[in-house]
Amino acid sequence: MKKIVLLGVISSLLFAASLRVSIKPVDNAIYEKECGSCHFAYPAGLLPSNAWNKMMLNLDDHFGDDATVDDDTFQILSSYLNLNSAEKSKQYKRSRKIVENLNRSIPNSISTMPYIKKKHEKIKEHLITQKEVRGLFNCTACHQNAKKGIFSDEDIDIPNYGKWEKK
Amino acid sequence: MKKIIVTSMLVTLSFGSTVDEFLDSLKEEVLKTDLSFKSFDYQRGENIFLSKHIGKKGELVSCASCHGTDLSKASQNHFTGKTIDALSPKANPKRFTEKKEIEKWLKRNFNDVYNREGSALEKGDVITYIINK
Repeated sequence: MKKIVLLGVISSLLFAASLRVSIKPVDNAIYEKECGSCHFAYPAGLLPSNAWNKMMLNLDDHFGDDATVDDDTFQILSSYLNLNSAEKSKQYKRSRKIVENLNRSIPNSISTMPYIKKKHEKIKEHLITQKEVRGLFNCTACHQNAKKGIFSDEDIDIPNYGKWEKK
Repeated sequence: MKKIIVTSMLVTLSFGSTVDEFLDSLKEEVLKTDLSFKSFDYQRGENIFLSKHIGKKGELVSCASCHGTDLSKASQNHFTGKTIDALSPKANPKRFTEKKEIEKWLKRNFNDVYNREGSALEKGDVITYIINK
């Protein structure tokens, strides 16, 4: 009996370890509200600051949408992004990998950046374009705990496919 | 004394909710160019909300593409799939309570659907439709 309990404890510890936080979750209410009303509020550590700054200067044409904000909000969002961008969050695994794979590029988006493309290349195109997902930009469609900064394989559940780790 | 009472009554009457105040400011703006203007119109607002236009992304869309046609229910962003809370203040009391938010979304969404900003008349009409539907 003791053995079983011990095994249970060990396996739950292992499971917890595999679901570790690999990127800093969003911790700014204004950012969460302003950026999260149309899409997942992406953790700032997903892009380097030069990419965020490029994006912020084009909010009137934000992937085809008008995402303009007033000046005060603009300052709050910009400073949050700059303080928490990928190169400032290298203690988190994903941010570190993102920076390491940039090859000096300034990405236009999270979903087209080298590291993100590489990490998703084994997934069949139709699973990404299906209506339940729509594109790589939609992290939460498959990464169930993306909001908590968890992007482990074990936490992936692809609509119309299932758990990623099993296959 | 009468004057004071009348004045205080007027002040009380004109002191409405955020959305009423916003509609009043739009009305003032419309009156600058159209002295015959009487009031905003639900029907015109409905047409603004439901008619389709080539939007900013080059796709034929209407306000309802993202907000749905039943404004008392949550809907989905047409492009990202993100849930959008109900637009009707009758179902979602948080709606139309902050001037800054009203202005932000009217500017953005007219651009998204009409590929231009809305006029004061259009904004007043569409708000009248949304809050009364």
